[in-house]
Amino acid sequence: MAASESTISGVQPLRAGEGNSFLWRRLHSLSGIIPIGAFLLEHFLSNAAAIQGPAAYAEQVRFLNSLPLVPVLEFFGIYLPITYHGLYGIYIWLRGKNNVTEYPWTGNWLYTSQRWTGIVAFLYMGYHVYTQRFSGIHLGTHPEAAFGKVQAELLNPWILAFYVAGIVAASWHFAYGVWLFCAKWGITTGQRAQKWLGYICLLLAIALIGGGLATLAAFRSAPVQSPASQVETQLR
Amino acid sequence: MATATAKTVQIKIKRQDAPAGNPHWEEYELPWRAGMNVISSLMEIAATGQTKDGHETSAITYDANCLEEVCGSCAMVINGKVRMACSALIDKLDQPITVEPLKKFPVVRDLRVDRSVLFENLKRVKAWVPLDGTYDLGEGPRQSMTLQEELYPISRCISCCSCMEACPQFNDDTNFVGAATIAQVKLFNSHPTGESLKRERLDALMGDGGIHECGYAQNCVEVCPKEIQLTKAISEVSRDVMVQAVGDLFRK
Repeated sequence: MAASESTISGVQPLRAGEGNSFLWRRLHSLSGIIPIGAFLLEHFLSNAAAIQGPAAYAEQVRFLNSLPLVPVLEFFGIYLPITYHGLYGIYIWLRGKNNVTEYPWTGNWLYTSQRWTGIVAFLYMGYHVYTQRFSGIHLGTHPEAAFGKVQAELLNPWILAFYVAGIVAASWHFAYGVWLFCAKWGITTGQRAQKWLGYICLLLAIALIGGGLATLAAFRSAPVQSPASQVETQLR
Repeated sequence: MATATAKTVQIKIKRQDAPAGNPHWEEYELPWRAGMNVISSLMEIAATGQTKDGHETSAITYDANCLEEVCGSCAMVINGKVRMACSALIDKLDQPITVEPLKKFPVVRDLRVDRSVLFENLKRVKAWVPLDGTYDLGEGPRQSMTLQEELYPISRCISCCSCMEACPQFNDDTNFVGAATIAQVKLFNSHPTGESLKRERLDALMGDGGIHECGYAQNCVEVCPKEIQLTKAISEVSRDVMVQAVGDLFRK
């Protein structure tokens, strides 16, 4: 089908049978649920072990690092999909012509919020991966230092605020992402179904944010793990 | 109601002499009358041929026909939002009323725009029931009442392009096909005879600018003057497209 024969100015007609955007766009949508969404849930749950105290937290970190092929899981299950989802998401954002000021309706606000929460979460994750995974003490080999390493960061109020922003943004982005996924893949199609899924996703967002904030509170309220004691544990 | 003497209507219209011309605003003042709408105001302006400060001006070019929201030709941006000018009642609008041509379509002159992209899109998804042949094909298959009731609202689309105008994804970066065309794909794919082109229509929607560009801002549903369930149509067709795409991975 030769679709480029159009002599219309302005927005061009559908290029039937041309390009790969369908594949990339659907891959973006899917990657947000699997593996990124699945990992997000796992990550929130694992970190919630902090509520049970430093020992339980260390045990959780030890368990995760005892899984086979950790570097492969990290690369294909976390880094690659998140990088793709984030960068392609920015590309999608740049191509949309936001008009929420002209049409300030719920769906349009959600469309806008999905872009802003996405970028906040993406920037936060970049920082979080750098500070917790690629700098300082290596938690894979020193799981007992995990609680103290996170706590040390969270004692700084600015970093704490950034964590709160990251948790809220990622939770909201994922919860509405589930709604979008169901709409885009034709799982929920009717108005009633989409409305109820909306409520369920709102609950999901609240639950994730609540869990995330409770985890942060656990780090803040626990006795400060002195860096010295970490070193001692290391040396032992 | 108080009989305010010399009650007037203030209207600002964005005008443009040629497709490449400079857009500029002109202000008009009209005597108020009961039941006025934007189209009748445009007619009134044409009759007086004067701007608010008494300058003579050319007649305003615009598309309109039925004046009862069924022909789809008079979609304009009124007070910042797309809507049909014929059903935009003056008494329900804040003044001064601003009237602009659709922003996502090339302006021909004044309020008249070129909406042929929709016609092109409908052709690309083969939005018709294939009937042509060399002999009489006889009666078509019957449609159930349930199906009729589901499809009739979609068949009421008036090609006004409001859904495309209000869509953040419909622009010259994505060249997104827009909700109207996708709804017509649902209409013709669900038709017992039209169904024979289903595969080709779904294939077309996988192309660049296809159904996947939808971002579910859902403005289309809000602005559609015929209240077509556009997002429902998009979700359903989206599923069909996905099922066909995945199926083709194994079939082809």
